[in-house]
Amino acid sequence: MNCGELRDYYELYALGLAEDPEASEIRAHLDRNCPTCVPGVRSARELITQIGAAAPAAEPPARLRKRVLAIAGGQRASLWNWSPVWAAVAAGALIAAVVFNVRAHRASAEFARANTALRQLQVEAVSQARELARLNEAFAILNQPNVKQVGFGGLIPPARKGEPAAPPPRGRIFLDPAGGVLLVASNLPPAPSGKIYEMWVIPKGGKPVPAGLFQSAADGTALHVLPGPVDVAGTAAVAVTVEVAAGAQVPNLPPVFAASL
Amino acid sequence: MLLLPLLLAIEFGESDADLVRRLQRRDPRAMAELYDRYGRLTYSLILRVVRDGGIAEDLVQETFLRVWNRVQGFDAERGGLGPWLLAVARNRAIDYLRSSAGRMRNAVELPETEYPALFSDMEKELLNSDRVRRVRVALEKLSENQRAVIELAYFEGLSQAEMAERMSQPLGTVKTWVRTALKSLRDELGTAVTA
Repeated sequence: MNCGELRDYYELYALGLAEDPEASEIRAHLDRNCPTCVPGVRSARELITQIGAAAPAAEPPARLRKRVLAIAGGQRASLWNWSPVWAAVAAGALIAAVVFNVRAHRASAEFARANTALRQLQVEAVSQARELARLNEAFAILNQPNVKQVGFGGLIPPARKGEPAAPPPRGRIFLDPAGGVLLVASNLPPAPSGKIYEMWVIPKGGKPVPAGLFQSAADGTALHVLPGPVDVAGTAAVAVTVEVAAGAQVPNLPPVFAASL
Repeated sequence: MLLLPLLLAIEFGESDADLVRRLQRRDPRAMAELYDRYGRLTYSLILRVVRDGGIAEDLVQETFLRVWNRVQGFDAERGGLGPWLLAVARNRAIDYLRSSAGRMRNAVELPETEYPALFSDMEKELLNSDRVRRVRVALEKLSENQRAVIELAYFEGLSQAEMAERMSQPLGTVKTWVRTALKSLRDELGTAVTA
């Protein structure tokens, strides 16, 4: 679709009401930084954002400011604070990038190698930033005073012929009503090629709800976070199954382990 | 009068872009300034969605945590901090509504959060009480049904089909109300910021 055809859908898109194919088309135009659709949707967003700003004014309690500031101050004081580590890594990456670029100017033969290293560092930096965000979400859940936790020990997987039985997966589930669900596991071998682990939140009297895909590390450890509010009182169990790499909407295999609340 | 120091700070103080840069340097005082600038607005928006003070507090904290965690990827030269924060707040609140109602989680996650350039620098407009009053007047000028569909879409994240079901009206009627309401708002308000 061309921009002229999409123009009438900018505000519906900004409000979250555009449907396919128009929504997909607008996203595609935004992805390629379309000079017509980007300012068009931005203008529509300005209109829609004002609706939110016009919500009836309410005064937040004073304690809320302290809670919010604890996010920044708490991270600085926390034993779990990895930010300096990542900052050091990022600084190192930056220095390395500068060094590599200087060399590239001095010797064209080194340019390709330096450029490759730079890209690798950028990839690592993005990966580390994602990991940091994930850890922050995990620590935010752990730091909540009303977090509920439950341990699990999985079923013993069948031993391969001639090999001793592998220890069963074990770990803990943490549920924070506001922060989400955190899974920490060990003895969980990486899912086979083409497969992935999928977590499920099972409500009382309800069907399992998909709660995200994850893969364990080579040493059998895994950390998975489902951010967002969770109805702890209404949750009966949290379980993990092995699914195809794209994940599933309903579990297709028996759980590798399950934690009842 | 309570807003005067805030407005003076906005007018003569550092911009949202400066604030983003300090947040990216992990300056805790920047977080305090961010909250002082947008905390009331964020709380009001979330409270309007969830209608529970305790839950609103949790979601405000979660909103600021998310912004704190993701601000490194935010390009302050391309997008406005306030609209981004409000979009995060709205998403968190509607996500909560949907999860508590058994509806699909993240169904309303707005794709625009991946496009910082779509968030205009609107800090003065968002914090300007006259501007907010104009928006409220424009909303009040809508017919009852037009206002209802806009509020159901914005504050509850309902699709047009869900609104039709909720209001027991044909889908076509709801779509007409939505389009008419948006046109009226556009005619009344134009855009907050000239590009």
